[in-house]
Amino acid sequence: MADITVSELHKEFGLGADKVIALENVSLSISGHAFVSVVGASGCGKSTLLNILSGIDSPTSGTVRITQNGRPARAGYVFQAARLLPWRTVMDNMLFVQQDRSKETRDRCQHYLEMVQLGDRGDKFPGQLSGGMQQRVGIARAFSTEPDVLFMDEPFSHLDAITARTLRKELNTIWAETGTTVVFVTHDVGEAVELSNRILVFAKGGRLADDIDVTLPFPRDVSDTEVAVTKAEVFKTFEDIGALAIS
Amino acid sequence: MSADLRVAERTADTPQPVSVVRRIWRWITRSSLTGRLTFPVVCLIVWLLAIKVVTTIWPFAVDVLPTPGQVFGFMFDEIKGDTVAPHNMYETFAISLQRLGIGMIIALVIGTIIGVAMGLSKAVNAFFNDWVVAILAMPNLAWALFCSLAFGFGDIGPTIVVVLTGVPFVIINVREGVRNTPSDLFDMARSFDVPRERVIWHVLIPSLLPFLFAAARYAFALGWKGLVVAEVFGGQDGAGWTIKFWYDAHRAYGVVGYALLFVIFALIFEKLMFDQLSKRLFKWRPSIDAADVVEARFDAAAPLPASVAAAEAGATATSAAMGSITLATSGPPHQPVDDPSPPPPAQDAPKHPRSNDHG
Repeated sequence: MADITVSELHKEFGLGADKVIALENVSLSISGHAFVSVVGASGCGKSTLLNILSGIDSPTSGTVRITQNGRPARAGYVFQAARLLPWRTVMDNMLFVQQDRSKETRDRCQHYLEMVQLGDRGDKFPGQLSGGMQQRVGIARAFSTEPDVLFMDEPFSHLDAITARTLRKELNTIWAETGTTVVFVTHDVGEAVELSNRILVFAKGGRLADDIDVTLPFPRDVSDTEVAVTKAEVFKTFEDIGALAIS
Repeated sequence: MSADLRVAERTADTPQPVSVVRRIWRWITRSSLTGRLTFPVVCLIVWLLAIKVVTTIWPFAVDVLPTPGQVFGFMFDEIKGDTVAPHNMYETFAISLQRLGIGMIIALVIGTIIGVAMGLSKAVNAFFNDWVVAILAMPNLAWALFCSLAFGFGDIGPTIVVVLTGVPFVIINVREGVRNTPSDLFDMARSFDVPRERVIWHVLIPSLLPFLFAAARYAFALGWKGLVVAEVFGGQDGAGWTIKFWYDAHRAYGVVGYALLFVIFALIFEKLMFDQLSKRLFKWRPSIDAADVVEARFDAAAPLPASVAAAEAGATATSAAMGSITLATSGPPHQPVDDPSPPPPAQDAPKHPRSNDHG
């Protein structure tokens, strides 16, 4: 459970006439066993925010502090594509991001592979697995480092609806068991409502437009009435802030 | 072909009682082995017919047109080690192979260093680019003549020809490899704080390996051709010199027989060295025969297997590594030889391209 404090975060790409503002003075704080979804239309700065939080990218100005009991927090990342090393087996891919290769580490990797139901695929190469299985390995890899905070960048957007639904359920279970803080970027409002207890709505130009708490009990399903109602409310917010307007 | 016929064909693929004769016939017509075996048979028939036709027009041609019997008899003697040339076949190939090996190692080392530098730096690329293209365009014969003049008869001239023939291919392949390094995997490693050495060993080198392997294949195939030419002019032994020996002795069956021995030699190397090495190094790659894909698509009788689709998606420039020697000798089709304005190296790309894709 990490504490994330973001203050006055600003990010620009390009210079002069080509200048694009990706994030405009974003301030927020996340703490505890949170599952925070970041939603918004394409080009609203969701992924930029995630890249800055995870240290892949650096901000133009502003600060990010991610701590766990006062020390710097450990982070994990699940990408849009699985990003596995194609020339290493599933187990070696898991070990690639670990601190060491001890017996305990191997057992931990095996445990997380079993959690995503791939316990018997450790010796396979990624090319021998389906897209959904590869993404599962990506999720297991991220959790296997036992991160304090986990960043997820539209991890299910490339998968078919049925696989995505199964993986969402698995993710919800693992999150509940591990106590990791998750920051989850998605453009799918239903997905955000199903998974998270807080939704950050971003508008065009990288503005943080709304911050919604979702208090429904877990596990949720997209077919639940309450989820549908909340989803409608979030869409209403989008309309209110003009995020749906075509610019 | 009508739709009904296609349906009928499809149902025939399902396990229904098909006559044994039909099944054998289908196996014979569809097996790639049949195609492979038919080619030499056709060659032999054309060869015999050609002798027949030419000798009826011009009877004296009997002297210069060797019969298959003469050629295979000569090859059999050579394989037995029984020859009138100064060295037997095994010594000859050992001499040439040594030159080829040394030349290839030098070409790979120099080519890798220059290729990496060209891939990483725009300035270095600008410095070398035109000259790599120039060396690539230079005929083997020019190198062979020049090197035999410069270094006399011996090992040095032919070895340098191998280096000069192979080095541009290594440079171009390694440069493309460096430009194609998987930046998304580097980002992944960075986000997990993976140490630098581990990234080099597990990401950078494996991603370069297919390009180096392709380079080695090209360098081998083209270096071998260059070497033979160089030995004809600047050698006092070796495979090229020996074929010249049979030419000087006016023994056509010797020239043809030795040329066929070259083919056998190249095939053995291809199968024993490159294929095996490729199987070991690239066992992670979903195995696929490109010809099968095209055929399957063309026939469209059966749906493409899922593995094929997956492999196609995964196929990158690295699949060039799988090009056989026959492909390599006809020149690499994907090489940007006449590329006057190469794309900028990776570090000149926008700082953060991912953010434009989504989010």
